[in-house]
Amino acid sequence: MSKATSESTTTAERTTTGETDERVDPEWSNYEFEGTPKMAVEDLDVYYGDDHALDGISMEIPERSVTALIGPSGCGKSTFLRSLNRMNDRIRSARVEGSIRLDGEEVYADGVDLVELRKRVGMVFQNPNPFPKSIRDNVSYGPRKHGDLETGLLARALGRDDGDELDELVERSLRRAAIWEEVNDRLDDNALGLSGGQQQRLCIARCLATDPEVILMDEPASALDPIATAKIEDLIAELAEQYTVVIVTHNMQQAARISEQTAVFLTGGELVEYDDTEKIFEDPESQRVEDYVTGKFG
Amino acid sequence: MRISNTSIAGFEGRSVADADRGVLLTGLVGGGCLLVAFGLFLSNSTLTVVPVVGFLGATTYGWFNHQAATVKSVTFLATVATTVVLGLISVFLIARAVPVFQHMGVRIFGLTDPVRVFGITLLPGVGELWSTSGDVYSLTPMVWGTLMTTVIAMLVAGPLGVAGAIFIAEIAPPVVRESVKPGIEILAGIPSIVYGWLGFVLISPFVYEHLGTPGLGNMAIVGVVIGLMALPTVVSVAEDALTSVPNSMKDGSLALGATDWQTIKGITMPASFSGVSAAVLLGVGRAVGETMAATVILSNVVKLPEPLYNVFGNTISLTSLIASQYGNADGMHMQALFAAGVVLFVSVMVLSVVSQTIEARMKRKLEGQA
Amino acid sequence: MSTATRHSLRSDQSEAFTRLTDGVVGVGITVISLSVLAVGRVVTGDTAAFGLGAFEWIALALAAMGSTVVALGVGSFVGTFETNPEERGTVGPALGFGGIAFAAGGLTASQTLGLPLVASLAAALVAGLAVGGFVTLAREDLGTTLPAGGFALFVGALVLTDVLAAGWTWAPEGFSVTFPGYMVVPVLAGLAALVACWAAVSARSGFGAAGRQSAAYFLVGLNAIGMLVVLATLILFIGVKGFGRATQGIAFDPLALEFRWPFVMDGYNFRPDQPNGVFPAVVGTVWLVIGAVLVGVPLAVGAAVFLSEYAERGRFTQLVEVATNGLWSTPSVVFGLFGYAFLVPRFGNTTSLLAGMMVLGFMLLPLVTITSREAIKAVPDEYRDASAALGVSQWETIRSVVVPTALPGIVTGVILGVGRIAGETAPILLVMAGGLRDDAPSVLGSFQFVARPPFVVNDALLQSAPALPYQLYATITAGVSGNEEFGWATAFVLLAVVLSFYAIGVGTRIYFRRRLQHE
Ligand SMILES: Nc1ncnc2c1ncn2[C@@H]1O[C@H](COP(=O)(O)OP(=O)(O)OP(=O)(O)O)[C@@H](O)[C@H]1O
Ligand SMILES: [Mg+2]
Repeated sequence: MSKATSESTTTAERTTTGETDERVDPEWSNYEFEGTPKMAVEDLDVYYGDDHALDGISMEIPERSVTALIGPSGCGKSTFLRSLNRMNDRIRSARVEGSIRLDGEEVYADGVDLVELRKRVGMVFQNPNPFPKSIRDNVSYGPRKHGDLETGLLARALGRDDGDELDELVERSLRRAAIWEEVNDRLDDNALGLSGGQQQRLCIARCLATDPEVILMDEPASALDPIATAKIEDLIAELAEQYTVVIVTHNMQQAARISEQTAVFLTGGELVEYDDTEKIFEDPESQRVEDYVTGKFG
Repeated sequence: MRISNTSIAGFEGRSVADADRGVLLTGLVGGGCLLVAFGLFLSNSTLTVVPVVGFLGATTYGWFNHQAATVKSVTFLATVATTVVLGLISVFLIARAVPVFQHMGVRIFGLTDPVRVFGITLLPGVGELWSTSGDVYSLTPMVWGTLMTTVIAMLVAGPLGVAGAIFIAEIAPPVVRESVKPGIEILAGIPSIVYGWLGFVLISPFVYEHLGTPGLGNMAIVGVVIGLMALPTVVSVAEDALTSVPNSMKDGSLALGATDWQTIKGITMPASFSGVSAAVLLGVGRAVGETMAATVILSNVVKLPEPLYNVFGNTISLTSLIASQYGNADGMHMQALFAAGVVLFVSVMVLSVVSQTIEARMKRKLEGQA
Repeated sequence: MSTATRHSLRSDQSEAFTRLTDGVVGVGITVISLSVLAVGRVVTGDTAAFGLGAFEWIALALAAMGSTVVALGVGSFVGTFETNPEERGTVGPALGFGGIAFAAGGLTASQTLGLPLVASLAAALVAGLAVGGFVTLAREDLGTTLPAGGFALFVGALVLTDVLAAGWTWAPEGFSVTFPGYMVVPVLAGLAALVACWAAVSARSGFGAAGRQSAAYFLVGLNAIGMLVVLATLILFIGVKGFGRATQGIAFDPLALEFRWPFVMDGYNFRPDQPNGVFPAVVGTVWLVIGAVLVGVPLAVGAAVFLSEYAERGRFTQLVEVATNGLWSTPSVVFGLFGYAFLVPRFGNTTSLLAGMMVLGFMLLPLVTITSREAIKAVPDEYRDASAALGVSQWETIRSVVVPTALPGIVTGVILGVGRIAGETAPILLVMAGGLRDDAPSVLGSFQFVARPPFVVNDALLQSAPALPYQLYATITAGVSGNEEFGWATAFVLLAVVLSFYAIGVGTRIYFRRRLQHE
């Protein structure tokens, strides 16, 4: 992005004019694809108090593929992601309007079981948030809470101990998150003792262990070194065969490398353009999107 | 220290060395006066007032001439005073109690009969446990009374208090939380004598009438009343501990499809375990040190209950021993009351240090160093 | 799709099922409330409605609840109602039900059947293990509802068959206490209703993780309500009992601008035709508070400023922290002993107002130090840096930036601390005393200059003085009979004074916290 710095003065001028002049054409975000949509978002508005964080977002997320969300800081990418599994319900000031459907079922309907929703739509947060427990317990947390695995004294006494299965699951999940090699000799250590990048990969492993259908990732690689990043990117590619992945990233190359389609959000909480990744990066409709992906903006 | 006090002197346009000498002199005069005053006060002299005036004079002079340095020294003295008060308490309490400790030896915790293991006498018997005429002062009954009432109080305040804290911190809708939390904090202020009054005029007679206890007042009532009294404190402090668990951790659990309750049990409670136990320990400290409710509810019985576990017995606690007997005590008897004070002081101090250590551990744990 | 069985996002129970569970909870809460009233003897076995006594009503309600809960569980088990129970129970309920069965089995064996101790213990153990094992091994819906419903039915049956009647008594061996039936019935009934409600609430959410959450929330919520109700009742009770006497004869003459409040403005007198008042005690408490604030607050604020602004973190601050926290938790009666040993001999060997002031001042010291430190710590470092960057000296920064910003927090701490010490009795018992009939101390009018050191004397300070909390204690020790109204009124005034301090303190704290957040 050295180009951006060299042109910074002219960019600033162009940005301001560009922002006021360009009208967003709804057609730009009308992405058509083959296959069924896993999630369908319609006229989504999110407010924090009086702040309008997302403005009339409509998009469909195809099943078993990687969808990238890009856009400048503060444009509402995390907010959008958190709306998909209703984590926004946890924020008091947040208010959500519009509709999101998962496999055709309305997510924001009355009586929706949030636990069931979040079992199916997993999430990796922007900042790593491991539990203050052992690495093993972090990974097995979800399955144990869902009652998929029984461990402990009582289970052992009843001959229903799933200890072996649990170990297997822990190893498999940690391997897929490209962290097994680093932690396999200290699975019982407190996860808070890991480095930031390791913590993030642990959180990815933790999410995989619960076997969701949709995985939301908020900049999962922002704290990782290039090697770990490469591993995570491989993992995401592999995940797409089985899962629906939605990933927020600030790294254009990364978005270009791993995603099949890309949605560009710009300041003001608007979805400006949504299309095949190739199209977005090579020949976007919107001037502002072009500026942004070529690094002249934001 | 960010800025040295010489910069102020520079402001006033005097030479640095001059100002420093002035500061030093004022400080010496003030500090010296204070030391002399303290010494005179300890030796119970009416002349104490002279050095006090000297200290005030030095401070006033310092305020006008070397303000920054004066403030720093005076605040330093205030800090030292805090420690000195604790030191004085320890010294004066122990000094008064030493004779009775010497007189009784280990028998200060003695039982009626000697305690023998394999024929070796570990604890000689004292016959009568507490007798002012025989100069026998075994604190065993009061320690037992304190223990019993504290245990009952904590059985009430511990579980109910932690559950209350969970409700306020994790379950209650925001509107409820914002009105209940201050309410609980205000309730923590009800003076203990008021609880004592209620226990004395209401609960004691009620229990006597309906539960057929032999007399008015018993340890069970005191325990429950103290438990109620400690409840708001436990709730309030435990609630603080629970809310100090970062939201991102709870979010992580919920995003994995755990229920709120599973998150509370699996993440919030373990993460704040130290803080919550510190809250309960604080409650224990309150219960151990609670005086007035026990004093007015219990009769002045200095015998162990029969049998020991009879919570409807009337044995008094360490605190109520002091409060109900200081009036007619002198000599060795009074010293025995001070010995009771020492036992109280030491146990509460231990509780305080333990709960501080636990709390420090919680902080470290949440910061990821444990 | 990744998972073999995909659940729908919504899990709706049939309406009939929900209505049944709600019914159980409604009846259960009524039974619990009735039981509480019965324990407090507001409702007794003689209270009757529609030809049936209160206890019969309670027993019938329990029986109905019990059978409904059992029906809910069986209905879920055979698939009439759609639920998601776990395949087996969890440890907590197993222990709880096992414990209840243990107690019920043992008591039935020893009390009703009259078996000897060993046999009763064996029966208790068998019952406990059987029920606990069942809860653990059975599917969750059965394991939750059968024992809960069974317990309610059991208690209902005991009462209806008069095995457990008002006249029944139980004197557990070794305890000097006798539990009569009219106390035991409501306690058991309340417990049974609680357990039945718990099971019904779990059923309402379809058992499983959601059911356990609802059931736990039910208990935790009920606990919170119960706690608030109990504490509020205490206060209300004192209000009701004390208000009348405390406010008796209040008169305001707008023309003469004369205001009279006899209870607070009159003293204790010996005339049988005039009611006594607490004026001296009010004045004494006011002076105590003033003195304690003068002693404690400057020291505490000074220490807080030094610790947070000047001192480097190290051994010294650690020592002071341990000392402050230690002082904070030192029992008040120990402060009293200290004052008795240290201050009393130095102030003319008698209990005195001055000694009371100083002891309470020492108690105030840690309270205010801790809150002030927190308030000063909360001042953002940017303020200090900004001020320092402008070339302002450290002391000027503290004086003009730090302390003013932290002042609301400091004041709040002082108010809360004053509330606490104003209600303290134990220390002034030992160092100040002061009888019911003492006059109000006239501190200002008693200053005198003398030729000998200490040159200034004040008799009022060196004498005992009455104070509100001590007054209440004195009322108790003087024998309450005949004086009870006076005691209630004193308790009311004391409570009003102390709780107003707390309310103001808590209120200002919330106000300033909000303001800080909005900045
Ligand atoms: N909890 C919250 N309360 C109030 N406002 C919020 C909250 N979270 C986000 N916002 C606001 O909503 C807008 C969008 O925030 P969001 O976190 O979604 O941005 P983002 O695109 O993820 O940015 P980044 O790339 O920096 O992570 C921002 O203006 C932010 O200030
Ligand atoms: Mg973000």
